[in-house]
Amino acid sequence: MNRKQIAIVLGIMCALLVMGIFIQINTVNSSYTGVAKTKTENELRDNVLRMKEKYDIATEDLKIVQQELEDLRNEAVRRNSSSEKNKETLSEYNKLLGNTDLKGPGLIITIDDADSMSILGDSYQSVVHDGDLLEVLNALRNCGAEAISINDHRIVSRTSITCIGNVIQINGEKVGAPFVFKAIGNTSQLYGSLTMPGSYITYLKRDGIKVKIDQVEKDTIIVPKYTGVYKSDYASVVE
Amino acid sequence: MKTKMALSIILGLVSFVLVAIMFTQFKTVEQTDITAIETMREAELRTELTSWKAKYDEVQEKVDDTKNKIAEYETQLNSSQNTSDVINNEIKDYERFLGYTKVTGQGIEITLSDSEDKLIESLDLLKLVNELKSAGAEAISINDERIVTNSDIVSVNNRLILVNSRKLSSPYVVKAIGDKKYLESAIIIKGGYIDSIKAAEKAIDYVLKDDILIDSYKEEIKMDYSKEVEDND
Repeated sequence: MNRKQIAIVLGIMCALLVMGIFIQINTVNSSYTGVAKTKTENELRDNVLRMKEKYDIATEDLKIVQQELEDLRNEAVRRNSSSEKNKETLSEYNKLLGNTDLKGPGLIITIDDADSMSILGDSYQSVVHDGDLLEVLNALRNCGAEAISINDHRIVSRTSITCIGNVIQINGEKVGAPFVFKAIGNTSQLYGSLTMPGSYITYLKRDGIKVKIDQVEKDTIIVPKYTGVYKSDYASVVE
Repeated sequence: MKTKMALSIILGLVSFVLVAIMFTQFKTVEQTDITAIETMREAELRTELTSWKAKYDEVQEKVDDTKNKIAEYETQLNSSQNTSDVINNEIKDYERFLGYTKVTGQGIEITLSDSEDKLIESLDLLKLVNELKSAGAEAISINDERIVTNSDIVSVNNRLILVNSRKLSSPYVVKAIGDKKYLESAIIIKGGYIDSIKAAEKAIDYVLKDDILIDSYKEEIKMDYSKEVEDND
């Protein structure tokens, strides 16, 4: 009797261990198919790397030609002193259009989805949507933000915030939570209006969305330049 | 008694070997977790490729654009002493992008109006402007108030709508210049902007035109706090 019992216990133990091994083997097998280097995947991987390289080269090119243009501009100004003022206007416009990196005081606002623990039935409200970003952006403009970026994508007049499926895009590039707004402007004025009772930020907080606002008084906020190109294929100037 | 002990030892050894195999397996699993790109599947790789391609195209376009300008400067510098023209041209271009000039072109004109029980809200206009921008609108105005880089659309007491801090009232005429077919399709898409406005029982109407006229922004956009980042920063 006693012997039989031991045999059964040991039998069960072995069975469990063998099962464990099979599960492991299975996992390994499936993760191998994940890395399976099929021909298309290998090609795609190569293409991605090649495209990255092309992008890097083009970025270098851009720096070089921009410098060249700047030199020519300086040359033009040197030959014609009346252009001096125009050059100032030009650099001011470049700032306004988002063609330069800007620094200054302001706010860094981080907005993140609510913790899944705090979801009370409505999961729609616990996620940050494109509409929320649009509202916060509009609120920032309303209280006088001069330059704004979201996850380091510069917001310019042409920028749209769209949502396809559950992917949010800014300037045509994918962005995901947490969303970090950087806004240059009068720090206390920005903070005051954004956190006013009834503001959109307070409304987001009420829904459980995590909002963190850092007030920066020094010129340490850096809003990167716009990477897109302004086009005017349809709009022509009326004199 | 002796057989019992032998049995235990054998079983103990077998268990030990099995456990050892399991640990080996665990290790293998961990090792297969290499760099991100190596483990990406086909679909992921495709999206990755598209996004890098889009980035590349963007930068390349900027390079071409800058090269064109360089060519312009060079011809100007070589041909005459008067170099102010080329800078002026650049300034004119920038003024057009900023919204400082009156512009004309093909596009769409959308009218949203209050009805007796349904009012147009600032969010309706904000969303419309966003849709038009995503469809490539080059210039937008609401009741002739030009939308520029720092334009805001807010409502006061849920009644008044302010654009660029100017009071507007219904009907709201939103004009946009761009590829008119493209602008149209962006808002008439099923489940899109027009559908959502109609679902809220609000009044909306639109026409496509070839000669939309959009007024310039009348003020000056100012930056008091933003400084240019120098290269040595």
